[in-house]
Amino acid sequence: MTKKIDIKKPIFLESRRSFLKGTAYTAAGAVLVKGVFETIVDTPAFATEPNVATKGGELSFYPPFANWDSYKELDGDDWKRGGTERNGVRSESNPDGIKENEYMLVPTICNNCEALCGLTAWVEIGDYKKSKDPKDLKVRKYMGNPLHYGSRGRNCAKGYATLSQMYDPDRIPFPLKRADGSKRGEGKWVRTSWDQAMSAIGKKIHDTLKVGDEISKKSIVYHVGRPNESGFGYRIAASLGVDGYGSHTNICSAGARAGTHQYAGTDRNSTDWANSKLIFLQSSHAADAGHYFQAAAGLIADARRKGAKLVVMDPRMSNSAGMADLWVPIWPGTEAALYLHLANRIFNEKDKNGNDLVKHEFVKKWTNWDVLMKDKAHLEFMKSEGIISEVPTGESYEDFIELMKKMYAPFTLEFTAKECRVEARTLEKLFEMFIDAEDKVASFFWRAGTVGHRGGWMNTKAGFFVLTLRGSMAGDKGGISFVDWHEVAVNGKGDAATVAGKKPAKLDVWNELEYPPEMPLCTYDPSFLLPHYLMDDEWRDKWNARGLKIPSKLAVYMPRQYNPVWINPDGFRWIECMKREDKMELTFNLSPTWSETNWYCDYILPVGLSGERHDQHSEPIKPAVFIGFRQPALRVALEKMGWKPKDPTRGTLEAHMASGLGEIWEEVEFWANMMVHYIDPDGSLGARDHWASKEDPTRCVTIAEWYNAAFENLHNLAHEAKHNPKYANSKYPNYEMLRDMGTWLEEKDVYRPQEKELVAHEGIIHAQHMKFDASTMRVDGAIVKAKIHDSEDEKSIGLVMDGKKIEGFRTPSRKLEVFAQFMKDWKWAEYAVPFYPLNQGQRDKMIHLVSQVHHQYMKNDNDFALNTIYRLPYNIHTRSVNSKHLMEISQNHNPIWIATKDATRLGIKREDKIKVTISDTVSGLVSGYFIAMAVPTEGILPGTLACSHHAGRWKLKNSVDIPGFSQPLGVMGLGAPLFDMSMDGTTGTLKPKQGIDKGMLERKDSWQFKEFNKDVDNIWWDGLSGAWQNAVAPCQPDPIAGNHAWHQKVSIELAGEEDTIGDIHVNYANNMKIYQAWRDKLTRPLTSEDKLRRPKHYKRPAWGLTDNAYSFNVTP
Amino acid sequence: MTITEIENRITLYGLISRLMISEVDCEFLKIIEENESLKALLPHYASWDKRDKLSCGELIAQHYDVDYANLFLLHLVPYESFYTKEDQMIQSGGVSPLMSLYNALDFKVELEKARVVSADHLGVELEFMHILCNATKKAFEANDTDGINELAYIQKGFLDDHLLKWAPMFLVNMKKEATTPLYHDGAELALEFLLSDYEYLSSIIKA
Repeated sequence: MTKKIDIKKPIFLESRRSFLKGTAYTAAGAVLVKGVFETIVDTPAFATEPNVATKGGELSFYPPFANWDSYKELDGDDWKRGGTERNGVRSESNPDGIKENEYMLVPTICNNCEALCGLTAWVEIGDYKKSKDPKDLKVRKYMGNPLHYGSRGRNCAKGYATLSQMYDPDRIPFPLKRADGSKRGEGKWVRTSWDQAMSAIGKKIHDTLKVGDEISKKSIVYHVGRPNESGFGYRIAASLGVDGYGSHTNICSAGARAGTHQYAGTDRNSTDWANSKLIFLQSSHAADAGHYFQAAAGLIADARRKGAKLVVMDPRMSNSAGMADLWVPIWPGTEAALYLHLANRIFNEKDKNGNDLVKHEFVKKWTNWDVLMKDKAHLEFMKSEGIISEVPTGESYEDFIELMKKMYAPFTLEFTAKECRVEARTLEKLFEMFIDAEDKVASFFWRAGTVGHRGGWMNTKAGFFVLTLRGSMAGDKGGISFVDWHEVAVNGKGDAATVAGKKPAKLDVWNELEYPPEMPLCTYDPSFLLPHYLMDDEWRDKWNARGLKIPSKLAVYMPRQYNPVWINPDGFRWIECMKREDKMELTFNLSPTWSETNWYCDYILPVGLSGERHDQHSEPIKPAVFIGFRQPALRVALEKMGWKPKDPTRGTLEAHMASGLGEIWEEVEFWANMMVHYIDPDGSLGARDHWASKEDPTRCVTIAEWYNAAFENLHNLAHEAKHNPKYANSKYPNYEMLRDMGTWLEEKDVYRPQEKELVAHEGIIHAQHMKFDASTMRVDGAIVKAKIHDSEDEKSIGLVMDGKKIEGFRTPSRKLEVFAQFMKDWKWAEYAVPFYPLNQGQRDKMIHLVSQVHHQYMKNDNDFALNTIYRLPYNIHTRSVNSKHLMEISQNHNPIWIATKDATRLGIKREDKIKVTISDTVSGLVSGYFIAMAVPTEGILPGTLACSHHAGRWKLKNSVDIPGFSQPLGVMGLGAPLFDMSMDGTTGTLKPKQGIDKGMLERKDSWQFKEFNKDVDNIWWDGLSGAWQNAVAPCQPDPIAGNHAWHQKVSIELAGEEDTIGDIHVNYANNMKIYQAWRDKLTRPLTSEDKLRRPKHYKRPAWGLTDNAYSFNVTP
Repeated sequence: MTITEIENRITLYGLISRLMISEVDCEFLKIIEENESLKALLPHYASWDKRDKLSCGELIAQHYDVDYANLFLLHLVPYESFYTKEDQMIQSGGVSPLMSLYNALDFKVELEKARVVSADHLGVELEFMHILCNATKKAFEANDTDGINELAYIQKGFLDDHLLKWAPMFLVNMKKEATTPLYHDGAELALEFLLSDYEYLSSIIKA
C-alpha cells in the first residue's frame, strides 16, 4: 500500500520544545480524556498474600505440570478490582474478597478445526470436594496445553470459545427422535433415550447386514465431517464389512491431495515453517485461517522473527497477504502457470556466479527423470500434443535438463503476466525472493488454489515441481517433507484390547456410491454427490445393466459431526434426498449441535465437544511425530477424584449426566456398545469380536483398555509409561500417562526421512509406521519390498540407492515423480508431467486444466470469478454456530469483496445489495442467485470477487417443543437467523424472516446454563451477513481428483427493492444437469477393457480392500 | 512553571491518551476541528481533504476505526509488558508493578470502561500522566511548592520507569504502520511530546 503521508518532513524536531511555550491549548484536558481511573482511597489495601501462583510480579500462564491436579488461582474478577492487593482473598472474615478457585487441569484437544491444538480444561473442583455432588463440577475456562508440541500452549479464538460452546444456551440435552407420524423436516421431535435409539438403529443395521449380499454392504454409509481424530471412524465401517466410510474431503482438499499423490505418492506435505527463509503461501491458509492455522501461524511468526520473508499468492488480500512482504494477487486457477514460469527461469538462468539455479544433486538423485527419458513412446506422445517440440535422442540427465529447458521456455514473463494477471515487476520480485531463499522455501498446498478449480491438482503438482528444482523438497531443515513421517494414527488401533485381537479384515466389496467408475483416480470419495447418485436412476441403471450392483437406496445413513445439507454444494438436492424415506431409510446424526442436516434426520444423538470425548489425533505441523489425546474433562476429573461409573463402558455418558451437562456421549463408547449389544449381539456378523473386551468378553472394551492398547503402538510412549514410577505399576500405564499429559512427543527433528536406512531389529523392519518381516525383504529392480508382519501382503518399502536400502518416497519409483507414469495407463497421459496450457488451442484440448473461472469465460462487463474458499479466522465451517463470542465477532465480516474500479464501473457502492448469479461454463445453464452485500476495496484483484462460503447458516424454526421438557429447546439461536423456505422439486428459495437478536430475546426463558449465559441478552446482531451460497452452487466434480471445484463464474447486478441480503433462489433441477454435464463431458470412465477399479498403488481411503474388491468387470 | 504550561500539559496528555485508549468519536474529533492550535499539532491531518468530503460517521467507519483496529487491536501491541517482559506476554492478571503503583497512589483503572486487558496500556499510562498533571495544577493553585516538586518527581519517575521505556518503540511502529493522517500525526505528536516533556520535567526538577 502506498502511503501519501510525507514522513520525511521533521515538523516536530524543529518545534519540540515549543509544546508548552507560547501557545495556550484552550481545550480542557478533562473534556478530551476518557477517564478510566477511579479513586479508591476508601478501599482498604490488604497486606495478606493470597495462596495462589499468580500473585504479584510475573504472571505464569500455566502452573507446573506437577500441580495440575490441584491448582489454586484467584477468580478472574481480581484484575477488574485492582488486583490482589485490594480486597484480599475471600474468607469467612472477608466475604467481599476475591474468590480463590481450586482447579484441576484436564488436558484435551480442540475440536474446532484440523489444527487440533492442545487445550487444558480448567475444572473447578473446590466445591465438589466439599459436597461430593458432581453437579458442583464445572469447567470454568479452556486454556492451551503448554506440553503440546504443535500448539505450544497457544490457541486462537476458537480454542478459547470451547467454554461457550460447552455451555451453549441451545445445547441439545438428550437424544431426539423425529416424532412418529411426522415427516422429515417437519420439525416435530420427541425425547428418546440412548438405549432406545441404539436399539432401533442397531436392529436396522443388523437386519441389513444379515442379508449378507453385495448390495447390503453398500447400503450403510457413515459420513464423517472433519474427523479431528486419527483412524477410529475407519474402523467402524470396516468392522461391519461395509464399504461405507464417507469423508468430507472432496469438498475440502482432495484437489491438493490428488496433486500430492501423483507427485509424491502421499496425501499432503509437511512443512518446517519455523526454519524456512521464505514462506510462500498459495491461497488463504496457514497464517490466515486455513490448515493448521494457529499452530502454523505461530511457527511462521517464529521464522519471520528470524528474518524469513512471507509471500502470499491470492487474488484477495487476506490477513496474511496484508502483512506479507509480497502480495501476489493472481487470477484464481492460474497458479500452475506462475510456478512453471519460475521453473523456466530456474532451468534457463544462472546465479550471479554463473552457476545453475537447478539443484542438480537433489533433482538427479530424487526425481524419476530417468523413467521419463526412457519412455520414448510417451515423449513422442508429448510431442504430438504440443507439450514438447522434439523428442530427445539421448537418455542422460543432461538430456533431461535440456528437455525441461525447452519445454518450459514458453512460460515467459510476458505470457505469465498476461495469463496470471500479475504485474511483471511482482513476478520479478517473487523470483528474486524465491532464489534468495535457496532450499529453505516453505509452502503448503491446500485450499482455494488447489480445490477451487477444475485442474486445481496441477497447481499442487507444479508447485512441488518448482520447489524440487531448488532442493526444498528434500525434507531438510526449513524445507518441505510429507505427512507419512510426521503423523501417526493409532486411534483405531486398540485391537489388542479386543477379543479378536487384530484389526478387521480387508473389505471385500467396492461401493460405487463412494468411488464411482467415472473417476478412478479421485483421491477421496466424492461424497458431495451422494444424493445425486441415489437419485440418478439413469446413471445407476446404465452401470447395473453392464454388470455392476449399485444400490438404489441406503438402509442407514449416519453423518457424524457433519452437516452435508448446508456445507455441500447443491444443498436442496441433499434436502430432497434426505426427505425421501425410500432413498434413505433410516438416518441419524452424531452431532453436538443442531444443524441444517439434523433437521431432516430421524435421530439426533448428542455427542461431546472438545472437552467431552475421547479421540487420539496426530497432524503434520512440524518435522516431528507427536500426538494429542482429547478427553472428557468432567469425567476425567471425577474419576481422578474417586468417582466411578456404574457401567465402565459408559463412563463419559454417566459423568456428563451426573454433572448436569446433559445426556452427552462420545463415539468411542457409543460404537463399542452398539457393536457388542445392538448390532451384532450374537457375533454372527463378525463385528462383535472386534469390540468385545478381551478382559471381559461379556461387555465391550472400556476407554482405558482401548487407549492403553492403542498407545502401545507408539514405542517411545509405551517405554516411558512402563518406566515412569508414577505409571509403571498401573494396569493401564499408557492410558494414564496420556490422560495426565494429553499429548506425547514420540520423535522430534525428523529431517530427510526418505534417506532413512531400512534396518532390521529382531527380525522386524519398521517403516511407514508398520512392521515388516525382515526375512521377506527382497529387491525388485531398484525397489525394496517386504511382507507386512503376520501377513502375506507384500508392499514396496524402499529403494536401493548408493548401495543402501533406504525408505525413499511413497511413489512407485520411490522418488518424486516428475513423470507420473501411471497416469498414462489410466487415460490421462497428457497430464503426467507438470504442464499448463499456453494458448487457446491447448486450453480447448486440455480443458481439464482450465479453471471454470478462467478469464476466458468472462465475456460480459459484469462477469466475475467468485472466490469462495477462505475462512473467517473465528468461524469454522459448521462448528462454531454455538459460540456467542465467535458469532458476535463474525458479524458483517462476510460481504462480497469487489475491486473499487469494478464497483465504480458498475455503479456499486459500499453496502449495496447485489444479486450474484451463478452460471456454469460447461453446460451453459444458470444455477440461480444469492443476494449479498458489496464492499468495494483495493484488496482484491479486479475481475474477481470474494465471499467466504462459511457463512449463511439458517433455521426454519426458532425453537421446538419437546413433550416432557419444561422449556422450548432453541435451535442454533446464537448463529442462525430464521428463514422461510420453499422447494418444489425444481426451484428452491430461502428468504430471511427474523434476525438472531429478536429470535433469542423472545425466548429468554429457554436458555440453558444460565450461570454461563448472563450476557446473552446483550445480543445485538441480526446475523444476516451471509447467504447460503453453497446451495446455489452446482456440483462441479473435477474429472480426475473428484473434488468439488468450489469457485464460480458469476454475473452481478444491483439487487431490486424486493430483494433482501440472504435471499437465495436456486434452480436445482439445473444443478443436477450441471453435475451430469461435468461427469459426462469431462470424465474418462472405466470401460470393459479395464480390469481394475483403480491403480493399486494409489491409496484408496480408508481401509484396505481385497483383490476381489479391486477387480472391475463390466460389459461394453 | 506557569499555569499555561501546566494546562497545556493537561490538554496534551488528555489529547494523546484519548487518541490511544479507544476508537475516536465525533465529539473528540469536533474538539480538534474547532481548535486551531491542536490542529496545528497534526499537520497532515489538518491538510487531509477527506475531512471535508466525508461525514464524521463515514470518517470513523471507513478510516479511523479501521486504522485503530489495525494499530491497537490487531497488529501492534500497545501494552508495556509486551515490550518489557522477556516472554512478550501482556501482564493481564494478578498484580503488576504498575498496578501496585496505581494502588500506592490510591487509583485503580476501570479496565472494563477502558476496554483494555491490562493497566499498562499506552492510553491508560498517558491518562495517568494527565491525572498527575491535574494534580499539579491543584498544587499550583494552592501554592503548594512541595506538592509541585513531589508531583514533578513522580511524573519524571513514571516517564523513566514506564512510558519512556517502551512507548517510543510503539509510537515509531505506530507512525510507520498508520494509514490515516490522524494516527500518523498522533503517533508523532505523542513521541515528540513525551521526549519534550521529559526534558521539561528534568529542567523543572533541576531548577
